Amino acid sequence: MPAEHLVRFLSTRWGDTVSITGLKRFHGGSARQTYRFDATGASGRCEALVLRRDPPSSLIETDRLAEYRAIQCFAGTDVPVPEPVFCDEGPESFGSPGFLMREVPGGAAAGLLEPEPYGEHAAAIGRQFFTALGRIHAEDPGKAGLSAMAPADAASARLAHWKAAFDADVFRPEPLLDAAFRWLAANLPPPPERISIVHGDYRSGNFLHDGAGRLLAVLDWEMVHPGDAHEDLAWACDPLWSNFSGRPAATLPLAEAIATWEAASGLRLNPASWRWWRLFAQVQGLVIWISAAREIIDGRSHDPVLMFAGTIPYRFHTLTLAQSLEAVL
Amino acid sequence: MSLPLPALLAALANAQANEVAPALQLLGQADAPDANYAGGTAATSALILMIAAAETAARPAREAACADAARPLIGEAADGRDAREAALGVLLAQGDRNALALLKAEAAAEWQVLAGLMLPPPVPVE
Repeated sequence: MPAEHLVRFLSTRWGDTVSITGLKRFHGGSARQTYRFDATGASGRCEALVLRRDPPSSLIETDRLAEYRAIQCFAGTDVPVPEPVFCDEGPESFGSPGFLMREVPGGAAAGLLEPEPYGEHAAAIGRQFFTALGRIHAEDPGKAGLSAMAPADAASARLAHWKAAFDADVFRPEPLLDAAFRWLAANLPPPPERISIVHGDYRSGNFLHDGAGRLLAVLDWEMVHPGDAHEDLAWACDPLWSNFSGRPAATLPLAEAIATWEAASGLRLNPASWRWWRLFAQVQGLVIWISAAREIIDGRSHDPVLMFAGTIPYRFHTLTLAQSLEAVL
Repeated sequence: MSLPLPALLAALANAQANEVAPALQLLGQADAPDANYAGGTAATSALILMIAAAETAARPAREAACADAARPLIGEAADGRDAREAALGVLLAQGDRNALALLKAEAAAEWQVLAGLMLPPPVPVE
């Protein structure tokens, strides 16, 4: 637990004697350990904060500074995000690299297996969810500190990224993935109209809502990168994140979700890109689930969340990928 | 399944001893610093245990059925999941749609194990 680190760090930062109460680790989210706590100074100053720090073993190796800069980029804009406070790329402040944000009070995130997680507010949440995604894609990637990228490289760079991860972690024959990688490499999509900020894990379950139809904050920016906006849209609309509803993110009908995204982003859906990135989304998912399983097999982790990833989502995407390949091969 | 059953069961036993058992000591204590995480860990661990049990019960019949279905296409390579998948993969790379159909059927059979846990089949988003 990071309480001692937090006491030391905040006491120095505030110039006050700080105590930590209500420290609670959130379950799930294997790329970071996430804690909430109340910090109270002897002077009476009190703040509810959230710490996200690197775990000893992670589902996905990511850059916490890129995540922090992306949150900074949208803080105070019409894309709701938590307010960033401080980032330390080293272990000095929090025991491992991590950053602090202000807590978003009253928020809940949907579970993967939860039926109709937004109830009667599904459409309202969907309009905000896909509007926020469009606004992210309308922003200049340079503002988030992301490096420049040629549009022609957007798809091939992501394909290479996940192929390398697959090659590193595969532990048994995966003929469906092999076939999908071959098809994706041979059928690269057209370059995007422009390079966008790609959240990288934009989906149901990665935002907070108030239970009454209001989206409070977009979370989990650890996979942010420059790229093709279709990548985020396809991931957000993947059936795995639909809670078995048949609607993207268990919210709006697909056509309405796309129209909402187009209106907010100023981009138009390219059918060829859409087809490619939808297949890519399943490939990306499968590689992540295989990497999770590899963590378990190699004994680097016994986190039940990684076991879950290596079973239910793995089987889900294996089946949907087989179905998708029937349509393209 | 993605995780081979022996590895899954070994990790699960490890998690039960090192995460869930200490977590259970914290459940119900309002001021326990990690009670939220403990509850989630215990719940997810229970789900994984149910999956492992379902998989243990279903696997022999599924393996036999998948091997029988693939044997006309790939012969003795049909016996054993990895050998079967590798052989079907070779045919799939040559454009054999029968191989794809067999791989899809095996994926559907693996998902079917989860139906006992009240999970419906994947629903397309179209």
